[in-house]
Amino acid sequence: MAFRSDPSVEAFPPDGLVEQLRQGKAALHQRHANLPLPEKVRLVMELQRIVLPLIARQRPLRSWERPWEIEP
Amino acid sequence: MPFVDTLRSLNTMKAEGVIEEYAIAGAMAIVFWAEPVPTFDLDVLVRLPQQGGDLVRLEGIYRWAMARGYAAQDEHILVEGLPTQFLPSPDSLAREAVSSAAEVDYQGVAVRVVRPEYLIALYLQPTARTVKRRERAAMLLELPSLNRALVDEILSRHGLSF
Repeated sequence: MAFRSDPSVEAFPPDGLVEQLRQGKAALHQRHANLPLPEKVRLVMELQRIVLPLIARQRPLRSWERPWEIEP
Repeated sequence: MPFVDTLRSLNTMKAEGVIEEYAIAGAMAIVFWAEPVPTFDLDVLVRLPQQGGDLVRLEGIYRWAMARGYAAQDEHILVEGLPTQFLPSPDSLAREAVSSAAEVDYQGVAVRVVRPEYLIALYLQPTARTVKRRERAAMLLELPSLNRALVDEILSRHGLSF
């Protein structure tokens, strides 16, 4: 079924919404940047577990590409 | 094994003269200044003690590591279980980055970390200019505390650009 836009419906986001979303994203990045260092290391380890399967799908993993088994 | 023990080991290497100076670089340096990013190793820029000849040797580091029971795994040494890559400073920019590194406290241990202004420059070097590294330079540029004038000065002095 083809989508046909209704000319009576506004096709663009309301004024300020995009900027609001950008600021929200920037604030999220800043919150992560302001976390205590051990928490950031813990998040690095969490990210390792998330991205490792994605990397493995694209190419063979290198010997050191494994989740760290350390305490943050 | 706590991450802080890896950091302690870097300070021990310096205290024992295995390296003259060091600074954490790469993605883990970003973690110190900005948000967590995925990475699987710890890059450490090092200034080595004076050696004869033109060839830089990491033998001293590998001997020290072996004596402490740290296994070598390809180009990494597992320092307290963490894959760590020791990078002799290859050029004047890297040497400056090491010398001007900031001292940051991690759970009571002082550790030297390349400043974000120098991280940006290192990521923009022609030999290192991958898409991922340009993205990381771009992320660091957004840091509220970044000294933009210093970034511009470093880039200009080393013939680098965005």
